[in-house]
Amino acid sequence: MGKRSLLGRSIPGTSFIHRLDARVKFIAAILLMIATLSSKSPIVLAVISLWAMVLVALSHIRVRIVLRSVRPIIFLIIFAMVIHFFTVRGTPLFRVGSIVISLEGLTSGLLTALRISLMVIQTSLLLTLTTTPIAIADAMERLLLPLKHLHFPVQEFSMMMSIAMRFVPTLLDEATRLMKAQSSRGADFDTGGLMRRARGLVSILVPLFVSSFRRADDLAVAMEARCYGGTSSRTTLYAMKLQRRDYLFLTAAVLISAFVFLWQG
Amino acid sequence: MIQFERVSFAYQGNEDRENIKAVSDVSFAIPNGSHVVFLGRNGSGKSTVARLMNGLLLPDEGRVIVDGMDTSENAFIDEIRRRAGMVFQNPDNQIIGTTVADDIAFGPCNLGLPAEEVRARVTRALEETGMTDYRDREPYALSGGQKQKLAVASVLAMQPEILILDESTAMLDPSSRRALMELILDLKEKKQLTIVHITHHMEEALLADYVYVLDEGRIALEGTPADVFDQKDCVLSLGLSLPTHIEISHRISDAIGVPYQPEKVTSFDGAVQFVRESLAKVSDRAFFDNSLEKEMSQMTLDQTQGDHSLGHDELSRTTARIKDDFPLTKGRSPKPLQQGLPVVIDVQHLSYAYEGLAGTHVQALQDISLEVRQGEVLGIVGHTGSGKSTLIQHFNGIIPSSRGTVTVLGEDLSERKIIRSIRRKVGLLFQYPEDQLFEETVALDIAFAPKQMGKSPEEVAYSVEKAAKRLGVDHLLVRSPFDLSGGQRRRVAIAGVLAAEPLILVLDEPAAGLDPAGREDLFDDLATLTNEGATLIIVSHDMEAMAKRCDRILVMKEGRVAKIGTPEDIISSAVFLEDASLDVPPAKRFLDALADDFSELGTFAFDAEDATQKILEAAQFMRKKNPAATIDAPAIRHDILSASKNNELFSETAACSIKHDYLPRVSASDTEHEDIESCEKKASSHG
Repeated sequence: MGKRSLLGRSIPGTSFIHRLDARVKFIAAILLMIATLSSKSPIVLAVISLWAMVLVALSHIRVRIVLRSVRPIIFLIIFAMVIHFFTVRGTPLFRVGSIVISLEGLTSGLLTALRISLMVIQTSLLLTLTTTPIAIADAMERLLLPLKHLHFPVQEFSMMMSIAMRFVPTLLDEATRLMKAQSSRGADFDTGGLMRRARGLVSILVPLFVSSFRRADDLAVAMEARCYGGTSSRTTLYAMKLQRRDYLFLTAAVLISAFVFLWQG
Repeated sequence: MIQFERVSFAYQGNEDRENIKAVSDVSFAIPNGSHVVFLGRNGSGKSTVARLMNGLLLPDEGRVIVDGMDTSENAFIDEIRRRAGMVFQNPDNQIIGTTVADDIAFGPCNLGLPAEEVRARVTRALEETGMTDYRDREPYALSGGQKQKLAVASVLAMQPEILILDESTAMLDPSSRRALMELILDLKEKKQLTIVHITHHMEEALLADYVYVLDEGRIALEGTPADVFDQKDCVLSLGLSLPTHIEISHRISDAIGVPYQPEKVTSFDGAVQFVRESLAKVSDRAFFDNSLEKEMSQMTLDQTQGDHSLGHDELSRTTARIKDDFPLTKGRSPKPLQQGLPVVIDVQHLSYAYEGLAGTHVQALQDISLEVRQGEVLGIVGHTGSGKSTLIQHFNGIIPSSRGTVTVLGEDLSERKIIRSIRRKVGLLFQYPEDQLFEETVALDIAFAPKQMGKSPEEVAYSVEKAAKRLGVDHLLVRSPFDLSGGQRRRVAIAGVLAAEPLILVLDEPAAGLDPAGREDLFDDLATLTNEGATLIIVSHDMEAMAKRCDRILVMKEGRVAKIGTPEDIISSAVFLEDASLDVPPAKRFLDALADDFSELGTFAFDAEDATQKILEAAQFMRKKNPAATIDAPAIRHDILSASKNNELFSETAACSIKHDYLPRVSASDTEHEDIESCEKKASSHG
């Protein structure tokens, strides 16, 4: 119990963003990710921030939940920001001990933090929050389909991906449960010496591995019992056909990216 | 039609170990449209038989034929698996899709059906299982019962003719179990399905047309449910139990010498009627016996007794006879709460809330206050989601108390520094604890807790041995925990918590998934702990086991304490139990059904034995009050004679084919008293 991780858990809905084709969202997410990461000027970042707000509005997901997607990497963001504070030289602003903090350092640190946050918010809005794992897996399968000519087992790969995603929450729950059980037996995860902690970790990882193998076995049997890998070729359930909104959205994403690259030269 | 023709199967052992024979020379035929149940203790080969049915396993010897198709023929395998759909035990490990609808679509997609057809089948399967509202949910957001319904829906989408349930109800709570069985019976009716059901729950066996009992890979007993449960001793020696109402009927029949009627007592109502009629007969029979006795006393002159004392005598004699046939349980009667003993757990106004899925606020506990005294056995019951697990996780600080106080052994748990030392003293065992084993050997695994708690090597060795002995796993110490059977692993895991020598032991569903005999043995072993002054807290859905084992029971409902009291206080009111979504234990239901017949019956019994005794006492009391009418003795003699003839006939139909040499292995006293899962309502209403 306690707080649930958002990893791999989408929030159902019927908003504009929810109904977009997963392939479009996938491509748009990659485009926007690159654009956001390569944006330098505050004006460009302001435009992307506006765009991100439009996305939030279109997705009908509460701002609090959107912001929570940043939480898992909050330390990374703070770290990147602090590094910029200390390393970028320019007009001295004030000093901490022997280290000079410059105006440029401060702005570049804040911009970096903004950049990473925007990137995470956009990707999670487009993918994890509004798209079911199976739709993502399906989209990947479609996008990778040309690789079939190179004898890449695309369908098996996407089945593997979707099962992996299906089991993320299950395994997270199991890890939590094991952690509680082993703590009750005196295992340590955050106090005590290195050896104690290592033993604590082993007591979680070994059973987790063992049970994953057992699950894999069970699942293989369950799949076999439902005729997987049989003689007939599998039906592809979701015939994906692009709608007007998909073209509209893709155009917008392309325009935003183009703007970023052109503006910065 | 599923035919097994002299089928044998062995699992390939590891390099150094022999092959493990799972099924030996089994033959049977399951006709279309029938409902067949397979029973047997853990490891008797039930699941193997199930997996042989749809070609998941192929026989080493013999043939398995489904609707004329041999499972070893590759060309038939897809068609066989389509026809014979299977629902497995673990709800989590059989859902493949990432949403409910996707999972249902998985099978039909594998058949290569057109997408339109697949979608239509998904919609239909959702409707048929009442899961339409959950169509786009992801599996983790479903309850255990819903996951199993989804598994049934996924099989239905294949349009099967046979539904194989491999212990599909084992991991569910009683109400979800009933809901699933209701669904299955409904589907069987509507779609003329053949049902093959593997289970540990005897009540579920009563729903069947035919029952097979497996033991060591062979069919040890077979027949209609009435025939099988007629073979009382045989059933018990196979590690099974009798449904409570059948056990009461057996006991009453033994006690007052009225012939047992297997067909009649199979249903709950039939059993009640049987007991009612038998007791009506016995009040007459006292006269009948009385007249016999008089004939005898004429020869031995000094034997002259009044009607009254004779009747009385008969009943006490019969009570003695019951005890021979069904030895007394090692179960304990609840001891009154002694005010003098120290309070070991003191919970005051505890509340706890957490953030659930998609930011919802879940109030798990609401103003709980509770005192647990040293040496008592406290049971905690409540519907799924009533806050039981959350509460027990407060007892050793796994969940820090946020509002209210938890004081354990005099220490306030909000003081985080003392948590380590508290965990030494409070052992907490979660559900399915066998999943937490990780060391190379059983000995090392059991030693983990005492080692972590800083005991010296000698102390560790001593505690390991003591804990292993208590749970009967001392002969397994050098084995790898991963090579053991499920029941053994469960015991090793419990020993692993006991080795820390906790003063308080908290167990969450310790017996879930074990066969009846294994369940009873485990509870017996745990009960010995309290003799040494330890305090035991058990969380369970099994109302009968709780009534029998606990001194006090705490009933939780929607995060609050609904009631706390002796088992009698809690169980006496069926209305209260139903209000808290709990099962009414079958022994109590039996008494309630007879309440109108006997004014002095009372409303509470621990188990079948207790219920029998109470019924006999009540009958005796009634007879004292209004002496029985004179009746036609010879007519009754005739009645009884012909009835007992019938009885013999029935016994022959279900010949017990257990080999003599392994009969004594399970001593009668170990298997005698079964805690019966309370799936009874179903059983009786369908019986």
